[in-house]
Amino acid sequence: MATRSPLTRRALLGAAGLAGVAGTAAAWPRLTGADIPGRGDDALTVLILGTAQDAAGRQQIADAFTEEHPDIPVRIQSVQATDWGDFFAKILTMVASGTQPDVVYTATEGAQLFAERLALPLDDYLLRDADAVRDYFEDVHPSLIEAFMYKGSLYQLPLDFNAANMYLNLDVLERNGLEMPGEDWNRDDFTELLRGMQGDATPYYWTNRLFGGIVPWLYVNDTSFLTEERAQGGEQLWSTFYPGEERSGGYLWTGSNATHERVHESVEYLRTLVQDGLAVRPEEGGGNTLVGLFASGRIGSTPAGGYWVQGLAEGGMTAEQYDVQFFPRWRTQRHQFGAAGYAVMKTTEKADQAWEWIKFTASKQAMQLAFPTPSTTPTRRSMVTDSLYTGVGPEHWSRFYDTLDRFPTSGPIPAPPQQAAVETALIRNISTALSGGAGGVARALAALDRDLRAVFTEEDA
Amino acid sequence: MTTDSRGTLLRWIFLAPTMLGVGLFVLVPIVGSLVLAFFRWDIITSPRFVGLQNFTDLAADSTVAVSFLNTAVFVVVAVAAQLAIAMLLAVLVQSRMPAWLRVFFRSTFFFPLVLSAASVSILMKYLFNESYGVINWALSLVGIPAVPWLTSPQWAMVVVIAVYVWQNFGFSFLLFIGGLAAVPQEVYEAGAIDGATGWRRFRHLTLPLVSPTVLVASVMAIISALQVFDQPYVLTRGGPGDSTRTVVMVIYESAFRELEFGRASAIGLVLMVLIMLVTAAQFRLARRFVFYQ
Repeated sequence: MATRSPLTRRALLGAAGLAGVAGTAAAWPRLTGADIPGRGDDALTVLILGTAQDAAGRQQIADAFTEEHPDIPVRIQSVQATDWGDFFAKILTMVASGTQPDVVYTATEGAQLFAERLALPLDDYLLRDADAVRDYFEDVHPSLIEAFMYKGSLYQLPLDFNAANMYLNLDVLERNGLEMPGEDWNRDDFTELLRGMQGDATPYYWTNRLFGGIVPWLYVNDTSFLTEERAQGGEQLWSTFYPGEERSGGYLWTGSNATHERVHESVEYLRTLVQDGLAVRPEEGGGNTLVGLFASGRIGSTPAGGYWVQGLAEGGMTAEQYDVQFFPRWRTQRHQFGAAGYAVMKTTEKADQAWEWIKFTASKQAMQLAFPTPSTTPTRRSMVTDSLYTGVGPEHWSRFYDTLDRFPTSGPIPAPPQQAAVETALIRNISTALSGGAGGVARALAALDRDLRAVFTEEDA
Repeated sequence: MTTDSRGTLLRWIFLAPTMLGVGLFVLVPIVGSLVLAFFRWDIITSPRFVGLQNFTDLAADSTVAVSFLNTAVFVVVAVAAQLAIAMLLAVLVQSRMPAWLRVFFRSTFFFPLVLSAASVSILMKYLFNESYGVINWALSLVGIPAVPWLTSPQWAMVVVIAVYVWQNFGFSFLLFIGGLAAVPQEVYEAGAIDGATGWRRFRHLTLPLVSPTVLVASVMAIISALQVFDQPYVLTRGGPGDSTRTVVMVIYESAFRELEFGRASAIGLVLMVLIMLVTAAQFRLARRFVFYQ
């Protein structure tokens, strides 16, 4: 005979209810968002793109800063994102939810979005503390500074950068009896080199995005898919830190140039490379897989910056197995580059402390802590030395920085404040252009032109 | 307190958690989205009322039009393939075979469904890579040249559909297994006496008897397919061009990349209405084609 449990149904339901109430109480900080880092805390919140490990990696910079400024506690907070566009969207969501950071590490892709809407100009601080930051400017190429000027003001101090150089796999070249091209090589030399690569390696591997995709080919063809102008202003900054340098108040990309004949010419060139089997159809997004493929000798050439060196070394590639060359000349040899630095949020109540952070992180001491390995190119010329690349870097590592000196007209990634919509339109239509025949290029560029005009018109409205 | 009022109170107490959940996580977002669809809002600046402009803009937006067309193609092909494969495998698994083998097949076919769609898509992206993928390598062994699976408009949608169907047919399969198990054996015995075997048995006996299950499976499959996002986003990001861009991808890109939350809400509402209409149409059609025992 079954025995009745002493636990009644009512008691059981009551216990479940109590458990529910207790669980809700325990989860209250989570439910109300009170446990979100930075909320209700007095620390200077510095946001970076990356993982928790990346944040931990920068902790020693925060520790060094705290030693110098014990009154300014700092919290490094990381946000994982698939790319810069995703990162910016997440920051904006944080702003909307009232948990905005004080300082954000952002790249050229978001420089004008921040300058236009989110960031504080640094001009007053720079002029006030000119003596303290003079050694930084003496060490950094003015092209990098100009890339972070917007409408006459400077919003970030770039700490690292990467130009779109050309990586060449020496194993692949050797297998095919080819030689490393010279610095003055041109587009035809490049095509010939690709034709000489046979067998199991892809001659040219590239990705479809704002950095390293079609844009370097537009720049060397002396054009771009956006109209490029320079803003007035910034004279005081230039005369203070770069006397004699004639630079502008920053880049302005305000319209479409997609139907220009040279844009067509550049896209058509890449389309023929794809059609002839000399280049892969570009994939979208970044190239995490790319490092492994290049290191294993399955890619002959690809555009990339100094950020690749450490990854290739970790992938088992020795310095003798690859080298880096300037991008091949077409009508010009203007290079594309991207840089990154800290921006102070307009909404912060700790602007002065944020400036101290920016000043500190631009010091050589902090930059050496930030960039101990060649996983990017430091903007301080004095740090791009043999000691950074010994044993891991390519023979001509100096070309990473020399790009800026040799080709002073080199320009940043064309990223107006509407970067996300512009990049989406570019990727979509370049992808279409390369998927069809020769006639498809004009149609795709007309569609790109239409999309870009809509983006800029909408902004004006 | 009377027994009646105590009962009423208890009913409300038991309903409260569900009502609260539905209210907070379903009704509030729907109402919020409905309101947002009439505004232009980029998170940073204050929302600006634009009336019906977000909706009228959609009509002239070629990307939105293409995404709806892509989604329609996706739904038709993917749902048909998903239901056909699930039904075929369910019938085979329900036929005579050792019990352990039946358990093995049931688990195996259901397994992809429990995997993360993003993880599966990343894996598939490697398999279908034109230059280094295993699939093209296998094809090369029999002399077939490399196929640009994910980088050509002709193939990209095929791969997206294939990956989606591979991952999702297990759910319909499980529903059909249940439906087939409920079919009385006597019906088949009677049918056998009348000479119904093979395809005729399936067409005239099995299908009508499992038609209620087919209705449920198709409704769920269509709703799910209309909201497809993970597979095309990870595999192709909607490319090449717009060839695999789906409606939910456009919603995501509008909101979280281009910060056009009003536009995203407007597209979301159109999709919601579309799903409701399609589901209503299915139930309407069911009156003619679904046979209840």
